[in-house]
Amino acid sequence: MIAYILRRLAQFIPVLLLASLGIWAMIYAVPGSPIGALVGENATPEQIAAITIRLGLDQPILVQYWRWLLAALHGDLGHSIQSREPVLDLIATRIPATLQLGLAATLVGLLVGIPVAVASALKPNSLLDRALSGWSALALGVPTFWLGILLILLFAVHLHWLPSASAYFPLISDPIPALTNLALPALTLGLYISGIFSRFLRAALLGELHADYVRTARSKGLRERDVIGRHVMRNAMLPFVTIVGLSLANFIGGTVITEAVFTYPGLGRLLIQAIGVRDYPLIQGCILFILAIYITINLLVDVLYAYIDPRIDYH
Amino acid sequence: MAVPVVSVRGLEVTFVGAGRPLTAVRGISFDVAAGEVLGIVGESGSGKSVTSLALTGLLGPNARVRGQISLAGIDVIAADAETLRLMRGRDVGMVFQDPATTLNPVFPVGRQITEGQIAHGTLRPERAPARAAALLREVDVPDPAARISQFPHQFSGGMRQRAVIAMAMAGHPRLIIADEPTTALDVTVQAQVLAVLARRQRETKAAVILITHDLGVIAEVADRVAVMYAGRIVETGPVAEIFRAPRHPYTAALLRSLPRIDADEARLSTIPGQPPHLGRLAGGCSFRPRCPLGQARDICASDPPEHDGVACHFPGEALATLPRPAPSKKPEAQTGSPLLEVADLRVEFPIRTGLLRRQSGTVRAVSGVSLSVWPGETLGLVGESGCGKTTTGRAIMGLIRPTSGSIRFAGQEIGGLPRGAMRRLRRDMQYVFQDPYSSLNPIRTAGEIVAEPLRIHGLHAEMGGDAYVAGLFDRVGLPRATMSRFPREFSGGQRQRIGIARALALQPKLLILDEPVAALDVSIQAQIVNLLKDLQRELGLAYIFIAHDLAVVHHIADRVAVMYLGRIVEESDKATLYARPLHPYTRSLLSAVPLPDPAARGGGRRIILEGDIPSPARPPSGCAFHPRCFRASPLCATDVPAFAAHATLPSLVACHHPMEAAP
Amino acid sequence: MNPMLRRLLAHRGALLGIAYIVLLAAAAIFAHLILPSDPLAQDLANTLDPPSAAHWFGTDELGRDLMTRAIYGARTSLITALGAVIIAGLIGVPIGLVAGFFGGWRDAVLMRLVDVLLALPGILFAMALIAVLGRSQFASLLAVGITGIPSFARITRAQVLSLRQRDFVTAVEALGGSSTYTMFTTVLPNAWSPILVQVVILSAVAILLEAALSFLGVGIPPPTPSWGDMLRTGKGFLYEAPYYAVLPGIVLTLTILSLDTLGRTLSRLIEDRQSAEDGP
Repeated sequence: MIAYILRRLAQFIPVLLLASLGIWAMIYAVPGSPIGALVGENATPEQIAAITIRLGLDQPILVQYWRWLLAALHGDLGHSIQSREPVLDLIATRIPATLQLGLAATLVGLLVGIPVAVASALKPNSLLDRALSGWSALALGVPTFWLGILLILLFAVHLHWLPSASAYFPLISDPIPALTNLALPALTLGLYISGIFSRFLRAALLGELHADYVRTARSKGLRERDVIGRHVMRNAMLPFVTIVGLSLANFIGGTVITEAVFTYPGLGRLLIQAIGVRDYPLIQGCILFILAIYITINLLVDVLYAYIDPRIDYH
Repeated sequence: MAVPVVSVRGLEVTFVGAGRPLTAVRGISFDVAAGEVLGIVGESGSGKSVTSLALTGLLGPNARVRGQISLAGIDVIAADAETLRLMRGRDVGMVFQDPATTLNPVFPVGRQITEGQIAHGTLRPERAPARAAALLREVDVPDPAARISQFPHQFSGGMRQRAVIAMAMAGHPRLIIADEPTTALDVTVQAQVLAVLARRQRETKAAVILITHDLGVIAEVADRVAVMYAGRIVETGPVAEIFRAPRHPYTAALLRSLPRIDADEARLSTIPGQPPHLGRLAGGCSFRPRCPLGQARDICASDPPEHDGVACHFPGEALATLPRPAPSKKPEAQTGSPLLEVADLRVEFPIRTGLLRRQSGTVRAVSGVSLSVWPGETLGLVGESGCGKTTTGRAIMGLIRPTSGSIRFAGQEIGGLPRGAMRRLRRDMQYVFQDPYSSLNPIRTAGEIVAEPLRIHGLHAEMGGDAYVAGLFDRVGLPRATMSRFPREFSGGQRQRIGIARALALQPKLLILDEPVAALDVSIQAQIVNLLKDLQRELGLAYIFIAHDLAVVHHIADRVAVMYLGRIVEESDKATLYARPLHPYTRSLLSAVPLPDPAARGGGRRIILEGDIPSPARPPSGCAFHPRCFRASPLCATDVPAFAAHATLPSLVACHHPMEAAP
Repeated sequence: MNPMLRRLLAHRGALLGIAYIVLLAAAAIFAHLILPSDPLAQDLANTLDPPSAAHWFGTDELGRDLMTRAIYGARTSLITALGAVIIAGLIGVPIGLVAGFFGGWRDAVLMRLVDVLLALPGILFAMALIAVLGRSQFASLLAVGITGIPSFARITRAQVLSLRQRDFVTAVEALGGSSTYTMFTTVLPNAWSPILVQVVILSAVAILLEAALSFLGVGIPPPTPSWGDMLRTGKGFLYEAPYYAVLPGIVLTLTILSLDTLGRTLSRLIEDRQSAEDGP
């Protein structure tokens, strides 16, 4: 098992290296000098000298990259041009908000997506199936930012039930404001995720329903709910776990837009603000951090998959 | 006769869907009594599998079932879902075709075996593991206590099918329905599984319905036979009678079209045409378009025949009209130098594992094969799955790079040939594939497919262009009008003809035929085999005929080489090999072939091999066959036997203890 | 008529989708001929007017006609989608073809490169790229196109790998066909169907992504009309002019839904044809 994890990890290393190289090379691609990109156009000569030495910008390019990577691995992502604060600190303050939103949305996605898929797959091509498939198409096709606007119009502008802009409250310490502030963003993103989940799970279930072992299970005299609930579900869940994992790994991509719609103070907003003012160390830091999360979750999904599928020999 | 376990009257199954309703079963009636084995035989599309699903109420919601089915006293057609569910597993157990997909891959085998009984409340969950182990023991699965917690992928094919039999028998059902239970298995494993099925049937006195396309299997185990054609039973009767004196022309023709290892025939009888499409049946007798009796008779075209043991207006005439073909002539002796000489061919694939994908093992797909083919002759290459016969063929063709060894074609070594020379050589050597559904480019017309080799070699104009291609269509018996059609518009047999025409386009000297008839129905198989024999005679072609079916090879080959785990274990001329096999494996293989002759049943001729074919990644030491061999000595476990000529017979054999006496 | 196209048109949802896309494209192409007003023409006397006979979608904060801007926005969207799909296809399909056909080290190297593109969610990758290139229509188009490369590469590779296993491809090799011949005359022509489906699906993704980037304020810079930018600005007037953010959103959503329906119908038709071809 350990060897399997290590092997999967080894496969991610080239991707991680190449991607980080790309992120690091950003500052060379932007117009102007890389030092300007790192400390801002109106930096003092002392600051420029300090950063030149600290990052070794006088060194050969690959050496520079290596030092930057080592620093990043030690948690040193540089300082924001705007606020002069360490990038890692800025990111750390935003993580709980984004995590809370991402998990709440995934929960909505599962709670809506799984029942829709199961109901759909049990009677393929029935009226219900078509209605639910149409629902999934809507969930996927309606842009989240527009759905968010519609929800704000209904629940904030029209009904005055919920706030139109969402602030972050920790769910544990302030459950009531956390829920009222989280409801619309989580619903907006969650409905989209439910579309992904239900469409994929329906296809997986339909594929399994025609498998030979289903006929075998029926020929043994099993109850239909056991045939579906045990045999079919267990097999369809295997690929579904991967999709849920990928969606988790992608959740920051989804939260970026949702956070913008609801002006929610998460990592995505931080990144957009950083791009808006061309705060390159902050942009690099955010993206590197998101990359690390993405790869970690992917790895976890792989390992989990090997664990739950008896056919994969991870030795 | 006592009350039958299952009684079917006037069963009709129609599928309704987007298109026109399709009637797959058109009014069939039969009974099966306790302790009796009814064999239902028919080609694809005859309705035999639909019948089995109808008996257990497992047809989908788009099936309309009419008639009467009484199974263990239950009116299956009228019964509600819960009654049917309780009937399944308790009164009727089922064994399906493909053991690789019948079991759920994510649950342990033991749990799946006893699941039905638990659902019926006849087994308490805590007693399940012991029960599962006991059931596995009854079907000869070794070490059952450990096996119950394993998953299906850890079982071999034969073992999986035995587990499925155990599962079907778990609730002591009064009826077992086995739908092509051995079709996906190798012949030696088929023998094991049939033996287990037959023994358990005797022990439990269950009624059995055995559905198969294989007349040999029917002759081997059935008491009575029902022959199905186009959704009807055309003939029923005791197995001995039907095989000795078939009364329906279809039954007679089917038996005649079968190549046999216990007879010599120059040419197989064929049934002309294709099995009918169920949506486009003509009135009258559905067999009439292909029948030698009914062609000129009005009654056959107007009235469907009544069924009274046999559904034919002229029962009994069948025998007279179909004379037994004359025995074949002795093959001529090989003269001149061989066309193809393969010496010590090896093909190995690395297995990579671990963190750095280091090579941790080797699959020895072919480990030292030597063979020769003379112009105009057929070398049969037989063996079970995984023996390396296809890899050998592909390596000779240059589709797989051999690890070592020499391949000489017309005296020229082709191993290290440059591209251009190899391309020219390819014109003399062509390949025909097994699966006619996969071997033709779906977006090209038949004419384009056959012309493609000419275009690749830039010979289209030189060889005569479209007229030449049309000539090839004539040659393989396809109408020229079909040249503009796409592969999907052809039947399996016709597609195989297109594949053969493509292989002939460059006027090769050698064809490598890789299981060319394995995917075809019996009546179509005979047409293709005859075509191949005609082409060989007319064009002087040499064939390497790769097959698992010993009867087909017996019919078509001049010489036969038997492979086991990457090696040729025995080679000889056909007559000697089939009459006096020297290698114990050859002997077992021949004895495992079910003969389409109920009179040959029993008599102790069968050798049932223990165990399964080992993996070519871990071949046994010494003689690879020794763990399964009934003549093995300590020497066999250590020393690889040489492949050497026999003292008196014209055979080569690789065995320390060859059989001497004629069987 | 092509039987595939006939079956596609027999499907009601797909027919509606095609009709909508054709209508939208026609309106976008001939916008300057059919629309009386200029998308940039301001009318400060009539700002934030609700929908009326003169302004079907109402007017924006500068008095510009919102329907005119929505239709010119379609032009922006469709050009971005088309360009992005062409970039993604021209790079992704050859990568998948070579990786799948030759396997070995070529496969390993190419697919690792593609994995790098997948190491970030698509929208973040596009944002990072725009952060470097600066905001422009070309930057949006390029960023969206590059994020589409992996799906083309993967779909093509998967298709080529499965075709590689089919005997008719082996047959061409057995006949002496060269790698180039086999790849271009046998493998690629059989691989088109799923790539075509991907073109349709990716068009929807590209339109959505471009709109999202504009909505976030990193896409095509104003005053070029774009749907995402209209929603972004409209969101600031939810109390005064709710129609502002709602009506262009409907146009955008219908575009996505049409392409999605079309893509799914195509893919189902191809599946059906495939199973018919594979025989029993």
